[in-house]
Amino acid sequence: MSSDALFPIALSLRVALLAVALAAPLGLALAWLQARRRYPGRALVDALVLLPLVLPPTVVGYFLVVAFGRRGPLGRALESLLDVRVVFSPGAAVIASAVVALPLLVKTAQPALEAVPGELEEVGRSLGLGPAALFLRVTLPAAWQGIAAALVLAFARAVGEFGATLMFAGNIPGRTNTMPLELYAAWQAGDDALALLYVGVLSLLSLAVVLAAPRLAPRGLST
Amino acid sequence: MPAAVEARLRLRVGGRLGFALDAELALERGVLVLFGPSGAGKSLTLRALAGLLRPESGFVRIGGEPLFDAELGVQVPPHRRRIGWVPQRDSLFPFRSAAENAAFGLPRARRRRADPEVRALLAELGIAALAEARPASLSGGERQRVALARALAMRPRLLLLDEPFASIDRAGRAELWRLLRATLDRHATPAVFVTHDSDEALALADRVVRYERGRTLPGGPPSEILGDAYPLSLEGEHARLAAGALALGGVRLAGPAAALPEPREGRIRLSLRLPPERA
Repeated sequence: MSSDALFPIALSLRVALLAVALAAPLGLALAWLQARRRYPGRALVDALVLLPLVLPPTVVGYFLVVAFGRRGPLGRALESLLDVRVVFSPGAAVIASAVVALPLLVKTAQPALEAVPGELEEVGRSLGLGPAALFLRVTLPAAWQGIAAALVLAFARAVGEFGATLMFAGNIPGRTNTMPLELYAAWQAGDDALALLYVGVLSLLSLAVVLAAPRLAPRGLST
Repeated sequence: MPAAVEARLRLRVGGRLGFALDAELALERGVLVLFGPSGAGKSLTLRALAGLLRPESGFVRIGGEPLFDAELGVQVPPHRRRIGWVPQRDSLFPFRSAAENAAFGLPRARRRRADPEVRALLAELGIAALAEARPASLSGGERQRVALARALAMRPRLLLLDEPFASIDRAGRAELWRLLRATLDRHATPAVFVTHDSDEALALADRVVRYERGRTLPGGPPSEILGDAYPLSLEGEHARLAAGALALGGVRLAGPAAALPEPREGRIRLSLRLPPERA
């Protein structure tokens, strides 16, 4: 087996891990916000969080290209400040995966955070814990099973990302050709052995996730 | 010496038609019991004292220091108040051992090793042997002892207890009353204790404030607010019936025994507690 064939596997795992690392702080903050706070516009935030889950991934990809393109607001800012061009880079694959994984992360973590008894947090505050310490020392450990499940599911969704990645990061060999993209390319080219390799790896990863996630979150997964 | 706690609280929860609280309380030292039926605003008062909610007007002073003052615009957040909090039940961190729970509010360096002060507290509360146990394996009474140790370990200026023994059987409760009272006295920690049980109030209180539908009545010493006990001796089956009838009429049996004692030589000796207005 050539190293060219293994590159997409390593790339996909790296992209998915970075995507989860990128989505986790924002996703957990959003989950906490939706679980613990009532504020005007909460329903709108809920809808926006869910949007990438129901939008066709190619549409998500289109929005990302518009936002991060050379004339897009984020793309222009990144280029002028950091001299970074995101579109068609591995970074674009990370962002695309993070965006489509975010709803799953938020919606799995949110019920886990909601299930943390208010008394625990109140006692934590009485014991001198400020907001950050309270989240790290009380809320997070009390909800860790659901949060672990949320991270695992987000990782699985990120590994499988296809449409948005293709639009936003392209399928550049040795650069952005993640497993799902390479699987499609191999299938088109009639390279059944290669296609089967990626099918096998992706299927095993997915099986591991569906086996692990319910064990982590006995209640959180029903959503 | 400034009062341990002084507060005047007005607040409303649940909008215009919601519940209104108008409470006034003061304690020089010792234990103040907030007494009254559930839904009268006792727990709400504790939450305001702890800083978990912000009253519309009034003040909270602990040892003379304002922690809340509507006019001065002062509202110290809960984590800077150094006020201990013992809720009704299940407030232990399930992912920590009893000793780790007790040390939870201490600085990191003292949390890492077994702190001698925490150990002493656990011993004082009779749970030294349970230091390594997880909350799930403890009984209700043991859990509340750990919760008490946790609140006392940070040397609070004031301890708030919200019916902490409500889910514990009566015999166990009497023992916890003695233990709590002795521990508070030893540490000279003033406390505000919420209960709707007059025996509990009498066992613990230096001062009692009565609550009625969101309002406090003027406070005073326990015997004045809760009424004195009257010894009474009744005979045979009549005693049972008579005592039952008295209980229906708002007269309560005094002492820790909820049920009538068994007759001895055909007699039942009772101590009855009358509300002051019926005495």
